[in-house]
Amino acid sequence: MQTVLSPQLQEAIQSLIDNLLASEAFVQYQQAHAHLGTNSEAHTLLEQLTQSQGRVRQKQASGGVNQAELDSLRLLQQRVQRTPVIMEYAQSQQGAVSFLREINSEISELLGIDFATFANHSTC
Amino acid sequence: MDIKVFDDIEIAPASVVKRAARDFAAALSETPQSKAFKQAAEQFRQDQSAQEAVKAFQEKQMSLRPLLMLNALSPEQRSELESLQSAFVNQPVVQEYFKAQTEFASLCQTLGDAISESIGLNYAAACGVSCCG
Repeated sequence: MQTVLSPQLQEAIQSLIDNLLASEAFVQYQQAHAHLGTNSEAHTLLEQLTQSQGRVRQKQASGGVNQAELDSLRLLQQRVQRTPVIMEYAQSQQGAVSFLREINSEISELLGIDFATFANHSTC
Repeated sequence: MDIKVFDDIEIAPASVVKRAARDFAAALSETPQSKAFKQAAEQFRQDQSAQEAVKAFQEKQMSLRPLLMLNALSPEQRSELESLQSAFVNQPVVQEYFKAQTEFASLCQTLGDAISESIGLNYAAACGVSCCG
């Protein structure tokens, strides 16, 4: 069933979203995201890292990971850490997350419950 | 409005965003779902029979915790725990509390989803809530 929001609540949430998107933390995050999106080399590197992490995790679970694969993963991690556009994105995302937590505290303090916990879709 | 410019983009100061957050919380607290949840929680707190039932269940659950973690309860222990749980959850005031909580959570989820979609981050996950709350 779709929840119908009152006009007051619609206005309040839109204002919160607009202000969040205009905050320094989120402007930096959006800019870093856009920079990352236009850098195909960084994209490829992140894809390689994700694939390598997945392979190592799978093999660790079955006890069959070898040193060459671990070395390859470490090399990719070092390359990622030396890529400014990726680090800029990771740091800006961390900044946005920290700011969002501050905002959640403001909301939760007034409500008397943790808003994020209630907003969570529990799946377990 | 107190706004500074950041690479030709207008930046909302943190104080302004926090005020918008408080206005949002105030609007949310005025919804029927929030009022019903607060009222149900208060009735639950003031209902002596429900409080005793929840205390009895929690105390038994705590005393059996090591066995519960090992999934090693005897049939008698399991039956006693289930019986205490039923005595707790079947209290009308508890049922009303769970119903109000579910309806309020549903509204919060709709709002959280709207924020997540707009900002490109999962709101609950970013605020440190795991799938198990």
